[in-house]
Amino acid sequence: MTAKKKAAKKATSKAKGGAPAKVQRGADGSYPETKILSRLFDVKDGHTLSVAKKHGAYANLEKAVNSMTPAEVMDEVKTSRLRGRGGAGFPTGVKWGFIPQDSDKTKYLVLNADESEPGTFKDRYLMERDPHLVLEGCLLCAYACGLDVVYIYIRGEYPGSIASMERAIDEARAAGLVGKDILGKKGFSVEAYVHPGAGAYICGEETGMLESLEGKRGHPRIKPPFPAVEGAFGCPTVINNVESLAHVPCIVEHGGQWFADLGIQPDPDNPRALGSAGTKLMGLSGDIRTPGVWEFEFGITVRELIEQYGGGAPSGRTVKAVIPGGLSMPVLTGEELDVPMGFDALVKVGSGLGTATAIVMDDTRDMVEVCENIAHFFADESCGQCTPCREGCHWMEKIFTRIKAGEGTPADLDLLEHLFKNIEGRTICALADAAVWPLRSILRKFRHEFLAKMPAEAQAVGAK
Amino acid sequence: MSTTDTQAVGSPPPVPVSFPPKEIAKQCEAIVARYPSRMAACIPVLHVAQKHYGGWISPEVEAGVAEYLGVSDSHIRGLLTFYAMFNTKPSGRHEVWVCRTLTCWLHGAAKLRATALAKAGVDRVGVESEDGKFLVKDMECLGLCEVAPAVFVDGEPHVNVTPEGLEALMDGCE
Repeated sequence: MTAKKKAAKKATSKAKGGAPAKVQRGADGSYPETKILSRLFDVKDGHTLSVAKKHGAYANLEKAVNSMTPAEVMDEVKTSRLRGRGGAGFPTGVKWGFIPQDSDKTKYLVLNADESEPGTFKDRYLMERDPHLVLEGCLLCAYACGLDVVYIYIRGEYPGSIASMERAIDEARAAGLVGKDILGKKGFSVEAYVHPGAGAYICGEETGMLESLEGKRGHPRIKPPFPAVEGAFGCPTVINNVESLAHVPCIVEHGGQWFADLGIQPDPDNPRALGSAGTKLMGLSGDIRTPGVWEFEFGITVRELIEQYGGGAPSGRTVKAVIPGGLSMPVLTGEELDVPMGFDALVKVGSGLGTATAIVMDDTRDMVEVCENIAHFFADESCGQCTPCREGCHWMEKIFTRIKAGEGTPADLDLLEHLFKNIEGRTICALADAAVWPLRSILRKFRHEFLAKMPAEAQAVGAK
Repeated sequence: MSTTDTQAVGSPPPVPVSFPPKEIAKQCEAIVARYPSRMAACIPVLHVAQKHYGGWISPEVEAGVAEYLGVSDSHIRGLLTFYAMFNTKPSGRHEVWVCRTLTCWLHGAAKLRATALAKAGVDRVGVESEDGKFLVKDMECLGLCEVAPAVFVDGEPHVNVTPEGLEALMDGCE
């Protein structure tokens, strides 16, 4: 990039303060889809090697292996500003850079295909409709980081995805794309296997996943050591989300800068606002006319996603609350939806992008019952290692049940705030935080609904 | 997470089955070969074993798998009670999973659960029906949210399920 271009770019991003770069909206202001990851979703037999190859599958692996060094591939991914698509948004290229290159241990890639975040189904689309894109992403990661074995950890409740990825690996192995000396390149040897989970949300947490891969209960580990140094079987390990790695082939094809120029630019005044580069699969479920999954260049707002693609709330109802990414993010009210579906933009308004698959609730919903349902999920899925989470999630559920039954008092709301404070940030992994965030935001934004369920004299106290 | 009946104090330990039986021996060996440790094969091997032994892992099978993979019985028991997909009691000839998490719940999962329990003739989830035909389980998010509510019958996903549809599905089970 020339100096002039760079300066111009800086000026634009500054002027817009992290706003979307240059998506061309329709004449009616509609936000367009951009099909990069999803280009084979509607192609007949797109999951087979022969059809996928006609659409360019493995061409980028070939390009990398024949004309790029592993370091060059890693540099492109760093330049792309690709951030992890599993929820945390950590820069993928930076993560790869943590893998020690001087270690003679076996190095692993564990592909996080556990997708057990409620409301989230985007990775299932990728694995069932374009498994070769996912596998090509894995192989490019293995090439860039010098990895020997890929384990694709798929949740046990995804029989279709397990079958699809196993079939893709078999096809790829038969075509010389998995195994020894891939594409004839001496020394580039990678094995790939599917590892099925058996029903545990916590195994989507990266170190819980490693424990589960090793044949144990999915109890998250204390970090450090970080997986890049001591991961699966005590060896250096990269752990990436399915969608993150599915982006890598197009980054190799068009270059990291191309990807970085898509979407929302970083905010130069805020070092923590790393921007939202590229495209993203976004989904909708819940009280919505047309649920589904679509791919957009970052920049679409929550309201545009819901109204333009989801068709809004069912007939005669209005959107009351939205959890923008899975279940584990703070809720937005129906008035707070004019915010981009982006990493930094949603943090700025006190929520988060999470998995970018939103759950929508309409104005007929009782938020106390919603909280009871959410709390039950986390109570059920807590692995039980840390007391604040193991005891706290059940305790919160009991309080919501009590309030629902009309037996709550305002003191219960104080008790909940006390519990939130003593659960969040006090455990080994983020499951406990994930339990607190939606519940606390619902309690604070819809407090009147909780009070309305209490006896009249209690309501008077709580209104103070 | 399910709980299991503990063995009576003083009763002899279960006699391990000879594992793997020849029908699944090749499959199990292939799984073990994928990992640098035998322990890592536990979960995939238990899936194969559960399917082979009629949908649940008895104490005898548990001990057999433990012996085969070189881990303790209690390690296997730990896995069986941690992971929602494993059963430590007879599971009925047909297993019905009803998703209860937020999106499915918004779409009427509570009604489906009631329908499934009534059809099985039991008053709570996780117990085999008296005729040994059904086991109904509450499951957390099955990842079929865009086509909610979702139900699995014998490992097969069914989507946009109505109570009438679920009744018909269960009527179709032998």
